[in-house]
Amino acid sequence: MSEQKQQWGSRLGVILAVAGSAVGLGNFLRFPGQAAQNGGGAFMIPYFCALLLLGIPIGWAEWTMGRYGGRKGFHSAPAIMGVVGKGRIARYFGIIGVLIPLGVYFYYVIIESWCLSYCFEYVRQIAGGAGLGIDSKAPIADQARSSAEFFDNFTGAKFDGVTVKGGIHESLVFWSLTFALNVWFVYRGLSKGIEAFCKWAMPAMAVCALVVLVRVLTLPANDALPDQNVLTGLGYMWNPDFAALKQAKTWMAAAGQIFFSLSVGFGVIINYASYMRRKDDVVLSGLTSAATNEMFEVGFGGMITLTSAFIFLGASGTIAAVQSGSFSLGFKTLPIVFAQMPMGNLIGALWFFMLFLAAITSSLSMLQPTKAFIEEAIGVSRKMSTTLVTIVALIGSFWVLWFSKDGVALGTIDEWVGTFLIVILAAVQVICFGWVFGLERGLREAHEGAQMRIPRVFGFVLKYVAPSYLLIAIFMFCKDDMPGMLTKLGGNPVARNTLIMIAVVIAGLMFLTYLGEKRWRAAGMDLDGEREPDDTKGHA
Amino acid sequence: MTTQGWVFMVTSLAFVWGLCAWCYYRVLSTPPAD
Repeated sequence: MSEQKQQWGSRLGVILAVAGSAVGLGNFLRFPGQAAQNGGGAFMIPYFCALLLLGIPIGWAEWTMGRYGGRKGFHSAPAIMGVVGKGRIARYFGIIGVLIPLGVYFYYVIIESWCLSYCFEYVRQIAGGAGLGIDSKAPIADQARSSAEFFDNFTGAKFDGVTVKGGIHESLVFWSLTFALNVWFVYRGLSKGIEAFCKWAMPAMAVCALVVLVRVLTLPANDALPDQNVLTGLGYMWNPDFAALKQAKTWMAAAGQIFFSLSVGFGVIINYASYMRRKDDVVLSGLTSAATNEMFEVGFGGMITLTSAFIFLGASGTIAAVQSGSFSLGFKTLPIVFAQMPMGNLIGALWFFMLFLAAITSSLSMLQPTKAFIEEAIGVSRKMSTTLVTIVALIGSFWVLWFSKDGVALGTIDEWVGTFLIVILAAVQVICFGWVFGLERGLREAHEGAQMRIPRVFGFVLKYVAPSYLLIAIFMFCKDDMPGMLTKLGGNPVARNTLIMIAVVIAGLMFLTYLGEKRWRAAGMDLDGEREPDDTKGHA
Repeated sequence: MTTQGWVFMVTSLAFVWGLCAWCYYRVLSTPPAD
């Protein structure tokens, strides 16, 4: 089916690749805001509960299903879900596991290019150039205006098409470069491309984060307002407000943060794990990837972002930054913080380089599932599958780049594909694992080659707790958020057309699944999970 | 920063860093499967 069976070169490689997929901008920009708005330190109670009861168990199920599907010769979510879910319905639901990473890639690569360009601007500032154009001696309000203006002009937030009309806009250069880098690494394949890069990028991210953390924790108090110092900054983030624990939204926010942070239900882990061998451990590996994500999220994101903002902007400025959202915090507020900070240009460069590494290790993982699906659905070479996925991704990403006004296209895909469908896929996966494939069988499969045992209580969690949470979350989402999302579609042709584009992609994926089914049956593959895997057969 | 804030911060950091360190220790010290 593919020219050469792809495999990970080492266990550490797959762990770092999955961790790289999980660690992204959300660890540094979304998590701190969620914690601060939902009880500060007290947020960690529902957060760690969700980690143990939702994130890690669902992750284990995905790793297990992925490796099992790989033993059958399948590497794509539709094929693997068909095996685990024993039939066509699960197989077609598995299409979501290709749609999500592909659809999210459309906009994620653009945000990634912003990180690279901001890093470049800081390097320019170090070299004496204008950079972001923020005057650190001006009043904070003026700095905020300059920062916002730079971001809006760079990203085309004011007008559609502004980044691609009338000459080559700088954002287009960085987008093209970032896109090309992604394609290059994915084309090089699993071991020589994604794994090799993640083995370097993940430690590099940790080093950058550590340098920034040390800088932030050694910052002197604000000269004008000595109450704005490291300790009060940390206190803003970590002092607990236990009253928040009485609100359901705190527990939902914590579970949501864990869910999206660990990239479960994203279609990536199931693909990455499919390249593992039968005796490769998935339990300790899955736990290690999750732990790595938490180290970055809590250990760095929880210590750096809001602490530094608080020292220079105070409580009101930090609250405003948090409420304005992750993009605003990352690309408008933090540059103001770096402008005030001693060695701010260097720290800014390191910070945005770290964010770029976090983003690219994630975006690589978003192209791979679609590439694998195309390869095994229609039996083309790696070169051809890379070409086809590049073409589709280029069209989708250019669409988002063009319709940049107010980030409508980006927001539409983020809501429908990057939020709603993730919960759907996770629910389908966990129900298939616990109820169709069978929990006992699933745990037996997970323990093949495992270097730690899954505690027995997680069986109950996987069969009852996780599916219940996800089904409730879907119901609440449909009740509370869907009406607003539908209203937005009605009032905005760009949002509507973006969703139509997604529908076209879905139709294409369904057609490919149909072709794949015929191909897999003709090759005698067990696409409905009717037989045990035959590990003696090499799958092409 | 209050005492409770210190408790939550130190406990959370100790948990995530400790878990991470333990996991990588196990991964790196265990021989790969044949």
